[in-house]
Amino acid sequence: MTSSEDISQIFDSESKKLQNLIDTANSKTDMNIHEIVETYYQVMNVSSMATMLKEQADSEPKSLLSKIQETEKMISEKFDSIIHPKILAKISLSIQEMTKNLQSGNSGKKSKEQIESDAKLFEELRQTMSTKEFVEQYENGISHD
Amino acid sequence: MISDIAKNLVKLKKEFVKVYDGNSQIQEFIPKSKSELFPIEESHLDLLHEFATTNPIYYNSFEKKIGSVDCIVYEGDINKYWLNSIQHGSSKAPFSPTWIMSGYIGAMFAKELGYSEVIDIGSGDGRIAYCAKVLGMESHSLEIDDLLVELQNLLTSKLNFNPHCTDAVTFDYPSLNLSRPIFFIGGLAQMGGTFLATGVLDKINSISNLKQNSGWVFAGTLSKKYSPDPKNEAGWGTLIEKNNLKYIQNISLPAAWTFHESDEVQYIFAESR
Repeated sequence: MTSSEDISQIFDSESKKLQNLIDTANSKTDMNIHEIVETYYQVMNVSSMATMLKEQADSEPKSLLSKIQETEKMISEKFDSIIHPKILAKISLSIQEMTKNLQSGNSGKKSKEQIESDAKLFEELRQTMSTKEFVEQYENGISHD
Repeated sequence: MISDIAKNLVKLKKEFVKVYDGNSQIQEFIPKSKSELFPIEESHLDLLHEFATTNPIYYNSFEKKIGSVDCIVYEGDINKYWLNSIQHGSSKAPFSPTWIMSGYIGAMFAKELGYSEVIDIGSGDGRIAYCAKVLGMESHSLEIDDLLVELQNLLTSKLNFNPHCTDAVTFDYPSLNLSRPIFFIGGLAQMGGTFLATGVLDKINSISNLKQNSGWVFAGTLSKKYSPDPKNEAGWGTLIEKNNLKYIQNISLPAAWTFHESDEVQYIFAESR
């Protein structure tokens, strides 16, 4: 059975991972899809752990509860208020730009090679749109909290 | 016989996946000529090839022997139409065509079941309506996306499969003077198909002579990527039960999006009780 100390260590380790991801997200202007998805998953992972641990608050040591509060504050003040809106705005802008470029390149006859090269850009657009949906689902979660 | 042709197509598709080394977004084949596996009239095959060669979504074609069958492979790209459909939000499900051969085999089943008119709902480039016409049936092709209807109009010179740029849920069906129609519903149940099918069913059920005489074909999937329907039928069981339809049969046929999938599209045939 996992002891309180083990739980505390796991939470601490996951929070540090999140802290690093948030620091990276804060310093980067152009996160790739993998980095975005990884960061959101870690936010959700740590948030779920925090919720679960708070439900059994009576049996948790005070130091862990204090760590949970600190981490939740980081998520709320750094991620939800600053990084998440920045990522969403950046993805939305990328989609607009990619769409515009692909539309402007749609006229005229193209070679087989050009069509297949453009198809990769369309695929990139689809991936970015899926990422936006994923990020928006997080947004919906925040607004229902 | 038709179910054998369907099975042969699925088998050959699996061979094709193994040997295809191109990079196109969509790809399919049509047998070059009548054979034991595909006992299809030569004149019909010619018309199917003509649909592909005049259709601007295909930008390349080449001959290839797949298994024991000499075929023409058609390579295409539908990104432009996808982009248009998401821009205008007109379509509930983005354009992703079935194979031309699948459209033809589906229409063959419809004809064998005794239907005289095929109504292709959410028809994309109109291939099912075209195939019905190849088989001598009357057909109408209903599509909400104007760019796709523009494309369909390029393909009607030899066989007019009657493209209509319209919302199938509000369309005036009595104006078609249908007697024994079968409606092919485009789009998986989980991809807006249920909404579309419900709207059209409500409309047809309100027309007394059509309520009892109509057939329905729903495009379903067994893929684990999509949530199953509690009443099965590849996603359509609940709708079939709710609308008091009678299940007839299920045919498995390839479509553009199943190229890399192990399961093909499940075409669920049903009729009014």
